[in-house]
Amino acid sequence: MFALLGIAGILTGLAGSIWLVVTGVRGARHGTTTGMWRPVQTILGGAALAMLALEAALVADDFSLEYVANNHARATPFPFNIATGWAALEGSIVLWGLILAVFTWFTHRSVVRQEREGDRIGPGALAVLGIVAIFFFGIQATVADPFRVCTEAVANGCVAASPLPWAAAQAPPDGPGPNPLLQNHILMAIHPPMLYLGFIGLTVPFAYGISALALREGGVEWLRRSRRATLVAWTFLTTGIVLGAWWAYEVLSWGGYWGWDPVENASLMPWLVATAFLHSALVQIRRGALQAWNFVLVIGAFSLTILGTFLTRSGVIGSVHSFTQSAIGPVLLGFLFLVVAGSFWLFATRSHLVADSPRLDSLVSREGSFLLNNLLLTVFAFVVLTGTLYPLVVEAISGDRVAVGPPFFSRMVVPLAFALLLAMGIGPHTTWKEADPARLAESLRLPVQIALGAGALTVLIATRIGYVVAAVVAGTFVIAASVSLLLNRARRSALARSSGSPVRLTGEIRRQLAAEPSFWAGQLSHAGVALIAIGIGFTSNLAQHSEVVMEPGDRVVFAGYDLAYRSPFLVTETSRRVQGATIEVAVDGEVVTELRPRANYYGADTSGISTPAIHTAFTGDLYLTLVRIDAAGILLRMDTSPGIWLLWAGGLIAAGGGLWSLTARRRAPVTAGV
Amino acid sequence: MPPRKLVWPALALTIAAVLVLVATNIGDSLTYYLTPQEAVDRRAEFPDGERFRLGGLVLAGSFSESGGVRVFEVTDGAETIRVELTGTTPPLFAEDVGVVVEGAWNGSFFEADTALIRHDETYQAPTTTQAS
Repeated sequence: MFALLGIAGILTGLAGSIWLVVTGVRGARHGTTTGMWRPVQTILGGAALAMLALEAALVADDFSLEYVANNHARATPFPFNIATGWAALEGSIVLWGLILAVFTWFTHRSVVRQEREGDRIGPGALAVLGIVAIFFFGIQATVADPFRVCTEAVANGCVAASPLPWAAAQAPPDGPGPNPLLQNHILMAIHPPMLYLGFIGLTVPFAYGISALALREGGVEWLRRSRRATLVAWTFLTTGIVLGAWWAYEVLSWGGYWGWDPVENASLMPWLVATAFLHSALVQIRRGALQAWNFVLVIGAFSLTILGTFLTRSGVIGSVHSFTQSAIGPVLLGFLFLVVAGSFWLFATRSHLVADSPRLDSLVSREGSFLLNNLLLTVFAFVVLTGTLYPLVVEAISGDRVAVGPPFFSRMVVPLAFALLLAMGIGPHTTWKEADPARLAESLRLPVQIALGAGALTVLIATRIGYVVAAVVAGTFVIAASVSLLLNRARRSALARSSGSPVRLTGEIRRQLAAEPSFWAGQLSHAGVALIAIGIGFTSNLAQHSEVVMEPGDRVVFAGYDLAYRSPFLVTETSRRVQGATIEVAVDGEVVTELRPRANYYGADTSGISTPAIHTAFTGDLYLTLVRIDAAGILLRMDTSPGIWLLWAGGLIAAGGGLWSLTARRRAPVTAGV
Repeated sequence: MPPRKLVWPALALTIAAVLVLVATNIGDSLTYYLTPQEAVDRRAEFPDGERFRLGGLVLAGSFSESGGVRVFEVTDGAETIRVELTGTTPPLFAEDVGVVVEGAWNGSFFEADTALIRHDETYQAPTTTQAS
């Protein structure tokens, strides 16, 4: 029954997508936004039905579906049974379709609300979204069908399946369940959907860009709309990347959070390009320049999301030759090729639209600093792309399987990151058109002094390691530059308004923030990125690591902590057995906490998932992992992660900036109308 | 500020510099990835201390641990190599499961300091049945 419902949902979504393309193209031709409401509703209804059917099958333990039989188990607890709905390939494409449908719904709503007479870009963009939706519903109906009925069951899964929902079903009594790593932490249920929202959200700016190109409508109209859409996607993507790093840190028990793994790189590359677009779009909106470049960025960001999906979902990373093992690999690659080739053909044939960009007056200006920022961000993305694809090229040419190690990324990316931080500090102090170098230097003097002071303080109380000091100086510079800009402007306008009588500075600051919320939201995101940089500087250079064998009653001193092994413990929960050790943590003779690093055993799995126990303090984390636990005692791995909370805080602040900008803008017309 | 004429040459030069930097650096950070069979066949190319990644299945019944060093055998069915691992074993590490260890030859065995579970995007560790 679930198979029938699910397939009905997929086909409804597919039909709605085709319908949307037809009505969208008609609307774009005649400049009307009517007639697209029903196809948009149809897509959303179909996508929701498919997702609900899959989730219902999981909740109802319907093992007659191949997807359920191979990815679910009766014992899988909430919310991980729900998360299983997108944990494996086929389910993830169903979620992809649903999120795309939701974005299409919001895009339609925004197009209708614009109420622009003769709007062609809006309907055109909806038609492009329809084309992308045809692809994703199309693969659900064919190569990534999640509703295949199991026709040959084994004890713990399904070995043969049929796409026909009325095929004679054979259900195994139980399934293997999702991978234990995926049900070990609540973040695993949250961070993939966040990343998806970011990835798929980048389809909307792409749709506006392609629509503008196809309809030969240059200018800034498409850009205004796609910048906001990019900001939505960017906010989700930022949150998703940070939560993903956090999950890796909390679960994978190696003490790190980022390994330049292709899966991680796949999420970082679109983020970098989208960040570049958020800045370069402003240059075109304000000054009319960089038109061609903006098209390149939206096409690039979307292409990178498809490339990322191809890399992570096709098995190509394991080996170049393995991607043809599943049909999804060649299909995604073909779609990627179509997107890139089609977009750039469109771009090339309409280059006259974008050729006459006005020249910039001066490089020492806001637009000049955005140019520098774009150069740095795209080089950054290029480096990550090269490092990710290089092993594939080597294997294709020589047959040797190689990996590009983290040292390559660090060596290339660290200088770029420092240059970016400098640009982030200086840029906001420049003015449009042409900045006066003397005034620029004057307004940056205080931030530079504060940054150097922070660097000196770091040397005095923490460390002399160059990278750490440099990260503190650069990060503090960014934050101090933003804060001093705000204070300067508030003080100046307070002076201008007061004419003698004192005006409260706090009120003036609030007025400044309200006057230009999206600018200050951007500054908040800058501060978040700066905190991340400082955090990375601390954790990458000052982390300590050690291992020790202990028996109950033993004590060990590590990084200023007194650790005492009290006793082992064993707990049986509904879906797992937990075996661990209770460790008492004391600082200066005072017990601060009790940590319980453990191994979780899921189902019949004999290999436990080692789960770290973490004590967070202002200076950093104490991170304990059980390597081994048996009658003889424990082998305990101890790590410190100095200042790692700066990463999580900075990431959430950066995403918060995006959220502020989005919500503040909606209010803007109201105040403007007063 | 530089005259506008110089902007494009400067940009071209920057891009060229980036390409050169990438090209020269990426070669240094390459780690070869060999199966036990290849590691034995190409022993001459990888003398003691020359790092590479070795990937295969952890041979059932071969795991032991003492004094923080984990010893096990990695096999691809054709060749089997003894591995001495000083680093921690990753989550999901078990016998009969695919593993990648990074290190170098040391005489007749492989001295590793890092181990990763080989997993795809579903984080499912490959097992003997899947590998065959």
